[in-house]
Amino acid sequence: MATINFESELRRAGANATGGWRRLAFLAQRYMLGTIGLIIMLLFVWMAASADLICRYDPLSVDSAHRLAAPSALHWFGTDSFGRDVWSRIIHGSRISLAVGIGSTTLGATLGVIVGLASGYLSGWVDLVFQRITDMLQSLPLLVLALVMTAALGPSLPNVIVAIAIPLIPTVARVIRANTLALREQPFVEAAKSIGMSEMRIALRHVLPNTMAPLIVLATAQLGSTILTEASLSFLGLGIPEPYPSWGRMLSESAAEYVRTAPWLVIFPGIAISLAVFGTNLFGDALRDILDPRQRG
Amino acid sequence: MFAYIVRRLFLMLLTLFGISVIIFVLLRVVPGNIVDILFDAAGFVDPADKANLEKELGLSQPIVIQYLHWIGGLLRGDLGYSYVSEKPALDEILPRIPITARLAGLALLFSASIGIPLGVLSAVHQGSRLDYVLRVVSLSGLSLPSFWLGLLILMASVSMFGTMPIFNPNPKTWMEAFAIYAVPAMAVGFRSAALTMRITRSSMLEILRQDYIRTARAKGASETSVNYHHALKNAVLPVITVIGIEAAFLIGGLIVTETVFNIPGIARFLVEALRWRDYPIVQNLVMFIAVVVVVVNFTVDMLYAAIDPRIRYGD
Amino acid sequence: MRSVQALAVGVLSVLAISDVSFAGEPKSGGIFRIYHRDSPGSASIHEGATYSLNVPFMPIFNNLVMFNQHIAQNSIGTIVPELAESWAWSGDNKTLTFKLRKDVKWHDGKPFTAADVKCTFDMLMGKSQQKFRQNPRKSWYDQVNDVTTNGDYEASFNLKRPQPALLSLLASGYTPIYPCHLSPAEMRTKPIGTGPFKFVEFKANESIKLTKNPDYFKKGLPYLDGIEFTIIPNRSTAILGFVSGKFDMTFPTEVSIPLLKDVKAQAPNAVCVVEPNNVSTNIIINSTSPPFDNIDIRRALALSLDRKAFIQIMFEGQGDIGGTMEPAPDGLWAMPKDMLESIPGYGPDVEKNREEARKLMQKAGYGPDKHLQIKVSTRNIAVYRDPAIILIDQIKSIYIDAELDVVDTAQWFPKVARKDYSLGLNLTGNAVDEPDQSFYENYACGSERNYTNYCNKDIEKLFDQQSAETDLNKRKKLVWEIDKKLQEDVARPIIFHARTGTCWQPYVKNVTIMSNSSYNGYRYEDVWLDK
Repeated sequence: MATINFESELRRAGANATGGWRRLAFLAQRYMLGTIGLIIMLLFVWMAASADLICRYDPLSVDSAHRLAAPSALHWFGTDSFGRDVWSRIIHGSRISLAVGIGSTTLGATLGVIVGLASGYLSGWVDLVFQRITDMLQSLPLLVLALVMTAALGPSLPNVIVAIAIPLIPTVARVIRANTLALREQPFVEAAKSIGMSEMRIALRHVLPNTMAPLIVLATAQLGSTILTEASLSFLGLGIPEPYPSWGRMLSESAAEYVRTAPWLVIFPGIAISLAVFGTNLFGDALRDILDPRQRG
Repeated sequence: MFAYIVRRLFLMLLTLFGISVIIFVLLRVVPGNIVDILFDAAGFVDPADKANLEKELGLSQPIVIQYLHWIGGLLRGDLGYSYVSEKPALDEILPRIPITARLAGLALLFSASIGIPLGVLSAVHQGSRLDYVLRVVSLSGLSLPSFWLGLLILMASVSMFGTMPIFNPNPKTWMEAFAIYAVPAMAVGFRSAALTMRITRSSMLEILRQDYIRTARAKGASETSVNYHHALKNAVLPVITVIGIEAAFLIGGLIVTETVFNIPGIARFLVEALRWRDYPIVQNLVMFIAVVVVVVNFTVDMLYAAIDPRIRYGD
Repeated sequence: MRSVQALAVGVLSVLAISDVSFAGEPKSGGIFRIYHRDSPGSASIHEGATYSLNVPFMPIFNNLVMFNQHIAQNSIGTIVPELAESWAWSGDNKTLTFKLRKDVKWHDGKPFTAADVKCTFDMLMGKSQQKFRQNPRKSWYDQVNDVTTNGDYEASFNLKRPQPALLSLLASGYTPIYPCHLSPAEMRTKPIGTGPFKFVEFKANESIKLTKNPDYFKKGLPYLDGIEFTIIPNRSTAILGFVSGKFDMTFPTEVSIPLLKDVKAQAPNAVCVVEPNNVSTNIIINSTSPPFDNIDIRRALALSLDRKAFIQIMFEGQGDIGGTMEPAPDGLWAMPKDMLESIPGYGPDVEKNREEARKLMQKAGYGPDKHLQIKVSTRNIAVYRDPAIILIDQIKSIYIDAELDVVDTAQWFPKVARKDYSLGLNLTGNAVDEPDQSFYENYACGSERNYTNYCNKDIEKLFDQQSAETDLNKRKKLVWEIDKKLQEDVARPIIFHARTGTCWQPYVKNVTIMSNSSYNGYRYEDVWLDK
């Protein structure tokens, strides 16, 4: 379904582009904001991947001689109270944000798909049980649930990923279930059934691929909010522990202490969070427009 | 309709019951309890002393008994005692609710009064430069962490006015009240405003595409009349839904905002109570939040059903 | 001892006179507004082990005796009477008798008597029916056999052996007298004392309010109408509040050196002092299991420390290097400088020390190609975490790759007690600058706060010897020797002693910040506002 939408979108827009590059160029022009978002996202991925190459300093190395140095040619974003280079910490911090963002979105989406498919396709009591669990998880704010979960699991990267992923499950499950319900009535599923395909195969072969479009839209939209949740958790002191350079952590306590004397400790990590989330939001929006035209604006 | 309401009410209770189990179990999984914290400063202590205190607080009972004890009390309106302050949990929680409610109300007001008009404006001028700018602004609003925005506001306040709002339960002047409640409400409401704007815009667009609008246009109704009279009236429906979504959204934002602005509301209290492993407070607060979210959603659904007869009661 | 007391009274009166001539006639009235750094767990000083409790609740109480509130350096010579009119040691130095004031009433109107004194100390010694939930300073009274009363206005402490330091312990802010007629639970929630201020309310995470006690036994005091603490955990918010005039004083000894610069820039009129607070930052070592069961590795660790760098980073140079006892000049029992520098790792040449440390590490089988992997555990609080980060950076130089392991407060002590750590970063606050307090509490075999279970019977004998010694100079020499041995044993390597700042608005009068304890200086009975 994804490709069909994509093609029709192109046709509708009057593009007679045939070459891959030209088509891409056309899309980039048509969805300028989305392209900017994608560029921002790729930039962060590139930062995370080549962090060791970009940074002049070890993000964890303490330097008592250069504490709280203002931004300069040597330290682009200044240094923190330990003399650690803020630029290096932000670059390395992108790894954490990406790990949490992608990790928890993937985990949440995967579990959500399983729950949603099972719920929508099997219906009956499975559906009933899953629906109620979904209701429960949705009646608690994301941050509250994540707070209790990280307190229960203890602060570490994998635990934070799990804590943020679980509240995502119901959102994804809802969408997948609705789609599955609709698809179940479609002729091609009926046809598959009539030729004796097993339920499992139908679900995986026919139903799942057809729910990919809304899933991708939803996952991209959630990416930004997972990054924000991690930042909030770390800001509250329950997320990724020191010394890992998590952006939220950098904004927390110690940075808050230097709000006046060293504003760069507050400004740069905040910009990093906002920019990363902004990028995913822009891209997610454009993706929704392309893949899910029913919702388009 | 009646059957629908009863069914929804039953499901609501079931959901709340489930949450109570989840939160109760989760808390008991958390390593370390209040006794560990209390004895932390004392160093090595007689295990018997620890056991005594655990017994006194009811922590040594089987988990099922503890749960029944809690729920039993809850149904009778007895929320137990805070482990830390040793005061009734109700007395600890109740006075904090108006503070958070005021903040949340102001934030909702702020987000509606900014988000709805801008959303309509954006939809009416779909595709224009204005729409473009507004969309980018709303997206960036959704991207700013509210605690960062709060920190920036505090920084700006100090460098511009040389002062900053410090919470005071009984503000003396209007200015003080404004600084204490409205400023944090704006910091947290900014994100909600962005969300409201986006939802208003898309639902408005949806309606502008509907047949009856086309009919109105065809009949020669002016653009203004079509947009604001016909369309907006119908677009209010989805906006009500937004309030439901935002109830949960806001509480998340309030936790960090109350921390940044040092407001002693329930959201920050929850974080503190978690830190102290103060089960009676955490349990009851989480239940309270869940009740608020569930009831708001229920009310929104009912309103929706009442306003829009097309809603199918079956699903 | 009598003469000492007389001297103290003399000093007090001289000081009072000089104060008056300097600041003018004290004015009555006004609410003293202070921000508080966090929400204390309860209101019961005896059950707490943090000065977060002492600061707001000390004004409610009185002690038998008290360190003079206007002399920064607490010592046995600055002790003045409070609920006691006078005190005397028996000839064998084994009984300390207090004559009590007869004009004192509890805040609820009941009279104060010797029975209250007995109740308080019976409870602290665990001898009474009613028990504290926790009793962190029980070991202070290990040498006390019992407390007896003679009539309503005389109480005696009967000791197992002479312990001159007992008087200092009784003069700490940690040793208020509690009323007999209230249960520990009541004291945790609605405390009643005899002090200059009465408890009004304590709203967790919000505020603590005290009001003037009009029937205070010191006539004319207190000057203030009340004291209000607003709880603000975020330091920069709190400081901004002070700078903008919302508070009359910062939380005492809680302003870090970098923030102090900010305060001075923003509020040039504010009065700020920087004092040592007798809190040492130290390393607890698990010597029961590898790798730190190897004394060579423990020594290497001690040699690797660059204490000056710690102080540079944490306090912009304004901290002190020393052993267990607070360093001179503010500390009373500090080792002389040359003695201190003779301890391994304290020598000024860090590179030379580290060279030696690396040799020790190589002897233990580690080297540039084979690093030792460990975890440094500490609590999830900035003052613990920050030095741990520096420590990890420093021990890289001796082939140790450490990872920070941040532990929740609820799990910290159980983890240490289980010996489930290899290195821990710890803070030890000393309520009284007194060897009996710090040695017994932290290093005696089986003591409650001896986190590392360090146990050396030979040193313990020396503890008792110094404790019973009545000749001050002889006692000092013994204390130095013990302190040096503790450092050489790498029992709990002391990294540095902190210094912190306190600021108040220029119209706040009569506040003195103690320079060798952050637990004793908050009675506030004669603080006044010149507004």
